[in-house]
Amino acid sequence: MVFLTALRLTRARGPDEWWRKRKVFKLAAFFYGRRRNCYSLAIRSLHRALVYATKSRALKKMDLIELWKQRISGGLESHGLEYWQFMDGLHKSNIQLNRKVLADLAAFEPATFESLSKIALDVKEAENDENSNKN
Amino acid sequence: MSITQRVQQWATFGRVWHVYDCSYQNPFDSAKVIVKYLKGMQKPIYHPMNDCGDHVVCINTKQIALPGDEWTKRAYFHHTGYPSSATWTLAWELHSKDPMMIMKKAIYRSLGGNLQRRHTMQRLHLFKDDKVPQEVLDNITNQIRQLRPVPQRLDHIDQEVIDNFPKIMDYPEDYLPKAIK
Repeated sequence: MVFLTALRLTRARGPDEWWRKRKVFKLAAFFYGRRRNCYSLAIRSLHRALVYATKSRALKKMDLIELWKQRISGGLESHGLEYWQFMDGLHKSNIQLNRKVLADLAAFEPATFESLSKIALDVKEAENDENSNKN
Repeated sequence: MSITQRVQQWATFGRVWHVYDCSYQNPFDSAKVIVKYLKGMQKPIYHPMNDCGDHVVCINTKQIALPGDEWTKRAYFHHTGYPSSATWTLAWELHSKDPMMIMKKAIYRSLGGNLQRRHTMQRLHLFKDDKVPQEVLDNITNQIRQLRPVPQRLDHIDQEVIDNFPKIMDYPEDYLPKAIK
């Protein structure tokens, strides 16, 4: 666009109205009822939807962490360890595996997971011995 | 899929049958443990939408032990839907009517509310005593550890053991024990 005067420049509102609305309608295409066809309703629900999407990015991570925790403690059920003892033992032995990898190991590599739990168990027992020596 | 992998798949998703002896156990603490097995939370493949729960057979539900004065203080609410048909049944009363109901309600409550709950409850098998049908017994492969040891009753101990138990003195012939208030 070419503006011959400064007044024109201030009054111009970006791209053409049709193209501006088209961007919104494309994002609102899967909404239910009039919310996908009427601009004033579409933009309202789109703003809400984008807020939800932003918030859910953090929530999704929290949900997955919860699931991994549950799966790791499920895998530890037969090895006689609690979740926190296991993670504490791995941390102290400088094994830097995250929850996702540990959960995958518990399901697909049970033998590897068992040896990891044995390491954590050794750490726990060594600590118990130290404490009993102090007393 | 090779034969070994196929068997691995069956073993992973096969339902295990656990048995839990409820005698002298707190039903509300036990429910938390049983729920874990019903939902399959003890498996590393757990997911809320993954149908990986196991069967649990609860035996001796007649022998449960409620904590404190719960037998006389805990009330179970029921309403048929008609006006003024609300009833509050005390735990001892409910237990005398149906010895499996307290255990069932405790587990139903601790399962948490969603549409899956009724289906998960189908995998729970309650028996008031240790008389379990043979077809159920055939499936059982695991026993869930009891939360507390079963106390030994004095009237179940042999008279010989009681007589030989070490003591520091004999009570006098005319001794009257203090009345228990």
